[in-house]
Amino acid sequence: MSRVLVLVRVMFANALRGVRQASTTSLLAVFTIAVVLVLVGSASLLVANMTGILDDFGAELQLTAYLDGDLPAAELPELAERVAGAPGVASVEVVTKEEALERFERIAGGGALLEGLEENPLPASLEIELRPDARTAESLATLRAALADLPGIEELAHGEEWIEGYTRAVALIRGVAWGLGLVLGLAALLIVANTVRLAFYARRDELDILALVGASRTFVRVPFLLEGTLQGMLGGLLALLIVFGGYELLLPQLRYGLELLVGRAELSFFTWSESFSLVASGAGLGLLGAMTALAGWRGES
Amino acid sequence: MRRRVTNPAGEPPVRMYHVSKSYMAGQYALHDVSLEVRRGEFVFLTGASGAGKTTLLELIFAATEPSEGQILVLGRNVARLGAGAVPALRRRVGVVFQDFKLLDDRTVEENVRLALDVIGTPRREARTRVFQLLKSVGLQHRRFHHPKSLSGGEQQRVALARALVNEPEILLADEPTGNLDPELTIEIMDLIMAAAMRGTTVIVATHDHSLIERYGKRMLRLENGRIAEDQPAATAGIGSGA
Repeated sequence: MSRVLVLVRVMFANALRGVRQASTTSLLAVFTIAVVLVLVGSASLLVANMTGILDDFGAELQLTAYLDGDLPAAELPELAERVAGAPGVASVEVVTKEEALERFERIAGGGALLEGLEENPLPASLEIELRPDARTAESLATLRAALADLPGIEELAHGEEWIEGYTRAVALIRGVAWGLGLVLGLAALLIVANTVRLAFYARRDELDILALVGASRTFVRVPFLLEGTLQGMLGGLLALLIVFGGYELLLPQLRYGLELLVGRAELSFFTWSESFSLVASGAGLGLLGAMTALAGWRGES
Repeated sequence: MRRRVTNPAGEPPVRMYHVSKSYMAGQYALHDVSLEVRRGEFVFLTGASGAGKTTLLELIFAATEPSEGQILVLGRNVARLGAGAVPALRRRVGVVFQDFKLLDDRTVEENVRLALDVIGTPRREARTRVFQLLKSVGLQHRRFHHPKSLSGGEQQRVALARALVNEPEILLADEPTGNLDPELTIEIMDLIMAAAMRGTTVIVATHDHSLIERYGKRMLRLENGRIAEDQPAATAGIGSGA
């Protein structure tokens, strides 16, 4: 075996030895990373689900343009096409007078109400779905201005209040997510760096002795960095298990609460790639912590 | 035994020119020290506590840099040694301390093997060399024990084996017998003397004058960071000739 391979094997063996020995400090590092990532993971899961629910609401937000009763049915498709080309419009659905009547009868049992009327009083309409980026009050105002010039549109149903409420909710959730992410991320880094630093001081003698017998900086640092990464990964895995356990435990209550509040309860756990990201974040935190701890060590004693 | 000699033949392995070391402005741990130690020479370094013995040894194995002056160790200028070159120098300089500096969570064999692991010596070769070294210090039967289960003398023999396993050209010992009783002291000193007899340049810091008298080697006495006395080796004495 070449000397380089021997060195790599010894460095890995040293890293595994450090983790295996599971001293109080290295266990502390794993648990600290786990606790921090449980907080970050739970917050991310919460925000992701809330954003998902809001996105579902957003998809249902639509404007209705009621059409002039005199507009010939043959001109409807052309008008729909022009509306579809307006700024911020994702799609347009044409609802003819007949379809409007059918809906009315179906929803309101309106057959009796409309009895005696010789003519269908319901107007044809266009149901306009907005693109996700156009679900703002400003975009809506621009769209209204564009549609106002089109002949055949009699009235545009008000959507501003809905849109404004939606926009505010999304901004709030995103702001909270960013704030939480920033605060938790910084706290995580500080806590993990300090915990790993403790583990480092507990083993400082070993590093000094290695330096004394002529170990290169790489030989000393690599096992320690690997150890930090491995501890972080274990912490990440533990956090993932805890968040998953909590999610499964609370899911029935959450579903019930959401159904009461918003009439829907489609919740989801992290995807595989998101789960991997959480574990990878742990590994990254462990590595950063180990790098911070090693930053002041010169290995010259 | 294999011996690696890479600095020019005849050049003293340790040379100091007007070396001073100051940790605080105006206060010198070493002051204007100049000396040469020849290849294979055995030198006792003595002096009261704080006289500068440990600082002088630390300068030789590049644990610290001189504030003034030049130090050449095995042909390398320690003051100009980059961080990457320090490990290479230390592999040619064995060091033994009063407090042994052994890793308690590793066996005797693993402690000695550390010096071979860091240079990527294959496991089988490393085991053979460690066994030979442990045999030479009489500890081969203790190779799977942990340091805590050994006596002070045995621990110092392990530390000595670790310092010698790489066949260093220089052996530095800082109060190696400071924690040992007189009988064990002689045992350790005889092992160090044996290394010197094989051609290793040895510098031993000690305040034990009975050792200096017993072995009759060159003695450098430090006082307040300066060399106060440089007494050559006696013609007679245990291990004389180095």
